[in-house]
Amino acid sequence: MFVSNIEEIPGKTITTCYGIVSGSTVRAKHLGRDIFASVKNIFGGELKGYTELLGESRDEALDRMKSQAQQLGANAIVNVRFSTSSVAAGAAEIYVYGTAVTVE
Amino acid sequence: MNYQPSLPEHNDNVSHQHPVREFIILVSGVLAIVFMGYWALGLFVDVAVDYLSPEQEAQLQTKINIDWDWGEDVMPETQAKLQSLVDSLQPCVPLPYPITVNLVRPSENPDMINALAFPGGKMVVFAGLLDAVQSTNGLMFILAHELGHFKNRDHLRALGRGIVLSILTLLIFGGDSDFLAATINQRTANYSQSRESQADQTALNALQCHFGHVGGATELFESLQSQEGESDLGFAHYFSTHPELQQRIDNLQRLAQERGYSQDKTQELMQH
Amino acid sequence: MDSLTIFLILLALGFVFGKLAEGRHYRSILAREEMLLRLPATSCKKPMGKTLPVGHAELVHGHVVISVDYFKQLLASLRNFFGGTIQSYETLLDRARREAVLRLKESCPTANEILNLRIETSSISKGNSGDRVGSVEVLAYGTAIYYREVSSQHSGL
Repeated sequence: MFVSNIEEIPGKTITTCYGIVSGSTVRAKHLGRDIFASVKNIFGGELKGYTELLGESRDEALDRMKSQAQQLGANAIVNVRFSTSSVAAGAAEIYVYGTAVTVE
Repeated sequence: MNYQPSLPEHNDNVSHQHPVREFIILVSGVLAIVFMGYWALGLFVDVAVDYLSPEQEAQLQTKINIDWDWGEDVMPETQAKLQSLVDSLQPCVPLPYPITVNLVRPSENPDMINALAFPGGKMVVFAGLLDAVQSTNGLMFILAHELGHFKNRDHLRALGRGIVLSILTLLIFGGDSDFLAATINQRTANYSQSRESQADQTALNALQCHFGHVGGATELFESLQSQEGESDLGFAHYFSTHPELQQRIDNLQRLAQERGYSQDKTQELMQH
Repeated sequence: MDSLTIFLILLALGFVFGKLAEGRHYRSILAREEMLLRLPATSCKKPMGKTLPVGHAELVHGHVVISVDYFKQLLASLRNFFGGTIQSYETLLDRARREAVLRLKESCPTANEILNLRIETSSISKGNSGDRVGSVEVLAYGTAIYYREVSSQHSGL
């Protein structure tokens, strides 16, 4: 599965377009991590737990998008965009969408 | 470039696990954590209470002043008599602080048969109890039982556990005061069975020490047992946390036999 | 104990009506997606039929605010405590986004193609304290283009 955030997959030609595909996930860390993060917030620095959380969420959202594209019969996704929002406090919500295409 | 209209067969963006299953798993997880927390903190309270020195205990008692409204003082004279009975038991159950007796008759349940030990050295005796016992010895046993709770610091344990429970419910229900008050009221006079039989033991020894025999010790339990089938004037409620009546009677009799306590004639209950 | 009863009633109401509403919404989404399948929407910036002359283009948008039910909100806060995927919000977000795209498409039924479709999520309230609602707002926007010669019946491109 080719994924890019530009209009095309370089070196390939797009033959068929299937429309928008998307993947989303909402994940949270357990309370202990939340408490640790708020303590860490006093001193500053990287919040490893949350970095990890966002990474996991992004991977899962990408996987879901790819699986959707596969179901449509596409072999590439172009013009991919990530967006985040916060619906639940303390949870990472990742949304990724793009255009499913077949390239040759 | 062609456009090929199609829709995905199944939705990957939602999990297909049933929400009720997830709910049950999560709630049981929370309950497990809460019970473990309650158990561990309760154990901590027990240990902490055992470590208190008599001076600290006395100091703590004077600081706690619970002023509950139990209704009007109905029988001040009888209350004074009860106070003198409790005072006469003091040499047998030594406590580092004074005990004050409150005789009450709650308006919503005037026949309630109960006696409670509260922090601050406050013993509450329900007027229904005086009607249920036949002899001074029987009454003295109940008073000594409550003194036993004081001696074993059961009221402090109950208070500590009550505080732990209220903190836990505060954490879960976010300061839901109605629910909180209900649980605390329920917990304040709620001791475990082992605590009850320990208090029974103290009371039996106190009776032997005061009268020289243990006649009348099981009197109230026996009369309650015979009444149990006939009516339910709230004994079921009081004894729900107390060991089974027959078991308590058996335990007391076995203990009296082991220690060689005799059972002589009981004294007539003074008029009130 | 009264508050506990109210809590349980709210929970049951949330569960039953939330489930009914969700089922109804999903059925409607699936039917409408099927119907609007002929109108392609892509995140690309150029039209797919590059050779056809474009008559006119306009900004179109669709938006929706959907709330989560009481049961799912509790489920989400419990899950937040233990960590992991908050499954009860997944359907909420999925429904909101598909509904927003559908509304965008319905606002321009005669268009030939929608370009540069973007989907933004914002939350009106987070639903972490009891007195506020947990809801999600999704805005979908893009450029609808109409080809000059080709009628909408031949949008095979």
